[in-house]
Amino acid sequence: MKRNDFIKRLGMSSVIIPVLASCNIKDGPTPITEETSTDTTDSSGSATEDSCTITNTETAGPFPTKNPSSLEHVDIRSDRTGVDLDVEITILNGNDSCSPLEGAIVDIWHCDKDGYYSEYGGTGMQSINFTSVHFLRGRQVTDSNGKVGFTTIFPGWYNGRATHIHVHIYDKNGNSLLVTQIAFPEGSDSAVAVVNAATAYGYTKGMSGYTYNSKDNVFSDGVATELSTISGSLSDGFSLTHSIVVNG
Amino acid sequence: MKGLVKFCYRKIIDRNASSAWDKMVFEDTYKEYFMQAQQFDQLKQYNTFRELLEKEPKADRMHNLVSTAAIGYLRQLNGLIPEVTNTSGKLFLPFSNFRFELLQSHIKDKSQHKVVIYFYSDHMVWLDTIDRFMLLANSNQTEALEASEEVETELLEIVPNLSISSVKHIHSTVTY
Repeated sequence: MKRNDFIKRLGMSSVIIPVLASCNIKDGPTPITEETSTDTTDSSGSATEDSCTITNTETAGPFPTKNPSSLEHVDIRSDRTGVDLDVEITILNGNDSCSPLEGAIVDIWHCDKDGYYSEYGGTGMQSINFTSVHFLRGRQVTDSNGKVGFTTIFPGWYNGRATHIHVHIYDKNGNSLLVTQIAFPEGSDSAVAVVNAATAYGYTKGMSGYTYNSKDNVFSDGVATELSTISGSLSDGFSLTHSIVVNG
Repeated sequence: MKGLVKFCYRKIIDRNASSAWDKMVFEDTYKEYFMQAQQFDQLKQYNTFRELLEKEPKADRMHNLVSTAAIGYLRQLNGLIPEVTNTSGKLFLPFSNFRFELLQSHIKDKSQHKVVIYFYSDHMVWLDTIDRFMLLANSNQTEALEASEEVETELLEIVPNLSISSVKHIHSTVTY
């Protein structure tokens, strides 16, 4: 390359580089800067090379932070509507005279007022929106009294099953201690009967075709240890309390 | 304007995870796998996800159940598909839909845990193809394009694991 040509090209690059640099600030690095530096450093262009280092890309995006499971919510209603229900579960240790078990992980899940579960639809192979992906599923860790609490709605029912809430209890390391279900009291003035007649709250099934605990394939062997206590009203919401004994 | 397209980027996360995000997704989805698998196999008889699926068909819920551990991390991506950049090295492909799949896992051997996340982009306007690059604009620019206004564009190269998952033809009177 002739010296004049080289100077000309250097001159060009000295004009181009600041323009590109200002572009870089706004738009990030471009391959063009790399090509320019190659063109102008074929003799002794180390200084040009140094000032023309490709800016780091930011493909990693925002620095990630440790994030708990999206199940870890007290209020698990998400977009579901219905009669309010507070659930308080106490986990007791059968290996320690039924004293409260602290630090146990408790998962609960149940159907919505129409009997549908979150995430059970179809084959699970459809894409889903990451901003609203599940409802009526929650996870909490028991306190020193062995208690966890959830804010949810009163479950509806579906064909073949009595009203129920699923519970999975783990030790603090995630080892399963018990998979069980919470049963609901029945009777003409029970919360189950009152809520399922509450069309104003969106419950449309009533009790016609309902599977009672005695006919339920899970609870028909008796609900002595699975039956919860429920109090409250439609307008104030209901409260469910239940104790579960595990081998902690 | 050639049409509206949606891209799908397939990202595998396994024991070779190197970035902080990948490692957290790997660790947390493995922990979730370990926990949730016990719902279907309380006696821990089946070591691998394949065995579990074979013996307990209901375990196909595991894909969704385990995805709960990844969702928080997906929300940290600011709505942009990771790793897929324009020719300036910037992330730009907006997404709000994803699909999470367990490929394999093992309750006693974390190194066998392997998941895949499919990121589905929002609609992008495919304006033209230049050499091996696609010239794109956000679909919210469609009206501006129709009005012959100047719009910002992105140039994208189709890289491994990136594909087009859907296309929608646009009737347009605009010529370029």
